[in-house]
Parts: sequence; C-alpha cells; structure tokens
Amino acid sequence: MTVEAGIGYALIALGPSLALFVSVVSKKPFLILTLLSSTLLWLISLIVLSGLWRAFLPLNSTTWWPYAILIISSVGFQEGLRIFLWRAYKRLEDILDAFADRVSKPRLFLTDKMQIALAGGLGHGVAHAVFFCLSLLTPAFGPATFFNDRCSKMPFFLVSALIALAFVTIHTFSMVIAFNGYAEQNKVDQVFVPVVHMVAALMTLVNFASGGCLVGIPLLYVMAILTLMHCGKMVWRRLTQN
Amino acid sequence: MAQTSRPTSVLDSLGEEIVRIVTPVSICMFLVVILVSVLDSSSSSPTSVSSMATIAYSEADSDSDWDKFVGALWNSLAFVAVVTAVTFVLVLLFYLRCTRFLKLYMGFSAFVVLGFLGGEISLFLIQDFSIPVDCVTFFVVLFNFAVVGVLAVFVSKMAIFVTQGYLVVIGMLVAYWFTMLPEWTTWVLLVAMALYDLAAVLLPMGPLRLLVELAISRDEDIPALVYEARPVTHGDSGHEGGVVQRRVWRERRNSAHDPTEVPNVNSMVNPALHGNSNNDPTSYANTTSVANGNTSPGSLSVNSVHNVTNSVAAQERLSQDSEEKSELSAPLIDHRINVGSQGHGDTIPSENLVLEGMGLGSSGAIKLGLGDFIFYSVLVGRAAMYDFMTVYACYLAIIAGLGITLMLLAFYQKALPALPVSVLLGVVFYILTRLLLEIFVVQLASNLLMF
Repeated sequence: MTVEAGIGYALIALGPSLALFVSVVSKKPFLILTLLSSTLLWLISLIVLSGLWRAFLPLNSTTWWPYAILIISSVGFQEGLRIFLWRAYKRLEDILDAFADRVSKPRLFLTDKMQIALAGGLGHGVAHAVFFCLSLLTPAFGPATFFNDRCSKMPFFLVSALIALAFVTIHTFSMVIAFNGYAEQNKVDQVFVPVVHMVAALMTLVNFASGGCLVGIPLLYVMAILTLMHCGKMVWRRLTQN
Repeated sequence: MAQTSRPTSVLDSLGEEIVRIVTPVSICMFLVVILVSVLDSSSSSPTSVSSMATIAYSEADSDSDWDKFVGALWNSLAFVAVVTAVTFVLVLLFYLRCTRFLKLYMGFSAFVVLGFLGGEISLFLIQDFSIPVDCVTFFVVLFNFAVVGVLAVFVSKMAIFVTQGYLVVIGMLVAYWFTMLPEWTTWVLLVAMALYDLAAVLLPMGPLRLLVELAISRDEDIPALVYEARPVTHGDSGHEGGVVQRRVWRERRNSAHDPTEVPNVNSMVNPALHGNSNNDPTSYANTTSVANGNTSPGSLSVNSVHNVTNSVAAQERLSQDSEEKSELSAPLIDHRINVGSQGHGDTIPSENLVLEGMGLGSSGAIKLGLGDFIFYSVLVGRAAMYDFMTVYACYLAIIAGLGITLMLLAFYQKALPALPVSVLLGVVFYILTRLLLEIFVVQLASNLLMF
C-alpha cells in the first residue's frame, strides 16, 4: 500500500529470520557462507522443478489435483536434496575437523554442528520467503493493495507473508532435526521432517477452496509450532545428554 | 549463563576473508538496485546515453529481436576493441615508467566520476523527490565530496572505511551509468567483457597479463583503483608497529627477490597462505588501495612473493576497467560523443580507475578490482529493471561465482579474472529465472500454494 506497508509485509515474513541471522549467523563468517550456499541450492532446486514443469504450465486454476501432483513432486525432490545436503555436510565436517587438527584447535563441537544445520535451514527458509513472498511484494510498495478472490478477508500480501513465515520456521528447524536424525541414526527424526514438509505443503491446497485460507493458515501454524517444539525437545535432550 | 572459557572453535574465524569481500560487493549491488528502482527511468529517454558502448548501433524499440541482437553484438565488439587498445596503451605507459602521469590521471578520473556522475545522479534524485536545495550549497557539498573522494583513493593515510566507502560509491555510480544503456547492448556487453577478461588475463599476450608481469619484474605497484578488504588480523601489530616494520619488509623483499621463487610468482595468493602471515607485521591493517604508491604492491609478507603477483594481476584488471571509465567519462564531457574526436588523453586515464580480477593484497587480504564491482552491479541493476525475482536469482549467482573464483584462486595461485564465472552464471540464472522460474512461482503463489 505504501512503502511502510511493503516493508511491514517483508518483515512479517522475514523478521524472525533476520533476528536469527543477526544474533547467531552474522557472528561467524562460515555460517554466512553456509546460509548463502543453501539459499543458492534451494534456488537451483526450484529452477530445476520449474524447468520440469514448464511444459504443463499455466495450469487450469479451477481443478486442484494437478497442483497436488506438482506439490508432491516438488516436496519429494526437495527432500531428496536434503539427503544429498547431508552427505555434502558429512564431507565438509571431515574437512573442517582435519583443518582444526592441523591448526591445533578443538574439533567441531556439538553446538557448532547444530549451528551449521541451523544456518543451512535458515538459508532454505530465507530462499522460500524471498522467492514466494518478497518477489511478489513489489506492487505492495505502491499506493493500492490486492485481494485474492479465494481469500478476501485479508490483503493478498498479508496472507502470503503469513504463510511464508510459517514455512520459514518449518524449513529452518527441519534442517536441524534432519541433520541430527541422520547423525544419530534416529528413525523418528529422519521420517518426521519429510512428513511434516509434505503435510504442510499439502495443507496449502486447502487455500484452494473459497475461504479456505481461514482454515489453512492456522493449520499451517500448528505444523510450524510442532516442528519448533520437536526441535527444541531434541536440542535440549542432546545438550543435556553430555 | 556463565561461559566456561573453552577454546575458540575453528568455526569462529573461518571464511572471514571471503565475507569481507562479499559484503562490499553486496552493498554495492544493493545500492545500485535501490537507485535503479527509485530512479525508474522509463520516462527519461534512453537516447540520452550515447557513449562508447553505443557507437555502432543505438537500439530503437521498433527493431526486431534479431536486429537488436546483431546491433548489440557490434556495439560490444567496438567497446571491447577500444578497451583492448586502451589497455595496451596503459601497458606502454607503464613500461615507459610514466607512473606519475598515470596516478594523476587516476585521481582526475575519480574526481570526474564523483563530481560529474555523482552530481548528475544527485540531480535526478533531487528532481524526483523535490528536495529543496539551492545551487550554491549543492555545488559546495558536491565539490567537497569529490575532493575527499580523490584524497581517499590517492592518499594512504585515510581511515580505511572512508577509502572503502568511496570505492564502493565510485563503483555504484559507474554501474548506474552503465545500466542506462539499452537492454540488449548491456547483456551482450557483459558477456563480451567477461570473455575479454578471460582472454586478457590468461592468454600469454593478453594486455593485463603483460602488465602484471611488468609490475612483478619491476617490483612496482601499478597505479590503479582496487578494493582491498581488511586483512584478518590475528592480534598482532598495531598501527605503529606496522609502519616501522614496513621498512623491514622492503628490505626483506629485496632479499626475497633473489630466490628462485620469484619466477613462479605469477600467481594469486592463496588466501589460506594468509595463515602464515600471522607472524609478520603485514597484518598491519593498512588496507588503503594499492593505488597509492606507498603500499608496495608486493608488499611482501614473508610469503608475499606471491602477493606481488597478485597485486600485479589485480592491477592488470585495473587498467582494463579504466578504459571503461574513460568511456563513461565521455558522456560527461561531451554528450555528442564521437569516437574519432576523443583524444588519447581522455581515454587513457580511466584505465587506471578500475581493476578487474582478484589478487591478494600485501597483508594477505583479498583484493578485488573495481571493475568487478561495476560489472556485477550492472548485471544486478539490469535484472532489477525487469523484476525483483531476477535480482535475487542473479545476486545469488554472482556471489556463487565469486566464491568459485576465490576457491580457484586458492587452488591455482595465479592471477585470475573475476568476471567470467560470475557474469556467465548471472546471465544464465537471469535467463532461466525469466523463462522458467517466474511463471512457476507466480502460478503457485497467486493461488496461495507454497512448499
């Protein structure tokens, strides 16, 4: 609506990530690089997906099942990417440990590893927010606003900012849970992350129904809070274990 | 909660040099994007920018795509030809030891950029935002700004932030001017410059490589504008210690000249080598641009034999960019530019202005030529003229390219061109985003479906 409103929407989507960035990531340059790399990887995965689906777009916006297929394939691809990220991270960890030995510094602490996972997840979340929310916010800086037919109670920008915030949370903390699950060989954690991602993405299909976003968005936040709590429990358990 | 004093992990300081280069590049790009989106120049006629880059063909909206592409190709060829010629002239001047002239020219170019380009852009801003300011105040402020800028890049004793800030501002101003070129010309020009950079630095008879080798063999500094990131100090010397010890370095350097290591000096220093510079006083945080003759280019630290090469390599780029600068200065001096009428005197100086490519500074810090700043920002600024999604994608691509170049730098230990990887990645991502990603994301997001 105005510059202030535009900045407001951007901060709704990215505010907590900004806080996380300033307090945790910006202090260690390596984490900034991790964040940038994971953002880039998420973007590349998105480009690959859009390349694969290009022939079928634009989809008919009245039927919902093509979108369901699209979402399922995209989430599946991204979860596969997460496993690939884990392998790359293991190799990186070995390199870092070798380097630490060489300069006679201690090896990576548990908190270090969790911070790297957090930065990776934050990168994914920020990429999501930037590409799904911020890049559409440009009209919001102008004099008017925009309403979506199916969700006419709130401006479109506000709705997309809220959804982006939920997904940022899910992405950020899923990575911590996933990396920890792979490290500990914990099956529950390993399965938890893809399931939550898929359920959350499919839940946005509820927005397809008229007035659906009134139900869809709270459900999405339930998933986000679930992820947050699970991550908190897991981190607490691991840190108090030692 | 009380922290037990446990040893600092390796994660605390790793990658700091890279972040110190990525930050100013990001700031420059961000400023250019803001300028481009604020000064939306759809109203101002593109024909007002006639420069070296549009001599062969000036784009008109009614031309077909193929015509535009061919015209852009001619433009870029002309531009690259001029840049090559000017770089060779610079090599010649450097060979004839006209260093003082080159340095004076550099200062003059900085003044022209800050004063005239900066003035024009401020005028656009004042016009757009109806800022009430009178001519006299404006002139005085602008003049002071420009003079301080010239001193900042000329004199070594300025505060580091001031020098770095001015370099970023110069990069931003020049990049903004480049974005005013017609669209096809800009893109083809970017790719052409990337390829030229690759050739000029890596081919044996490339002008930049000649310049680097000349500077190394003479153990001299090339007068040029280059951004040098603050070196990562490891708690060593303070300011004074650095000054005192610099003399020692000079002597050491002369002795270091004898060993056979000199020949393989044609390399860019490995940032990791910086680890060794802990012990030596080079960690003295003097990051003033190599432009001033004080900092011995090679400002060798113990292992800085490599550094020499780097700074030289960096300087090579510099000359390259200065050429662009000259072309940029051209519109300022006379809008009815005619290639023929431009004397040599005008075209040479800009070379000194910018420097493409990377190197390692005397104190082990990474140096990046100003030309790289400029062309990265031009790419992102052009992407901003389409949409913000392309901006984010191109930004990530450029940073990735920069990271890859830095890794190659660490690996090959040679003077490397910083443009090719980033620009080519940026162009690829721009095209992919525009063709593929945009419709995908807009389809999903406008239906409020996200994953």
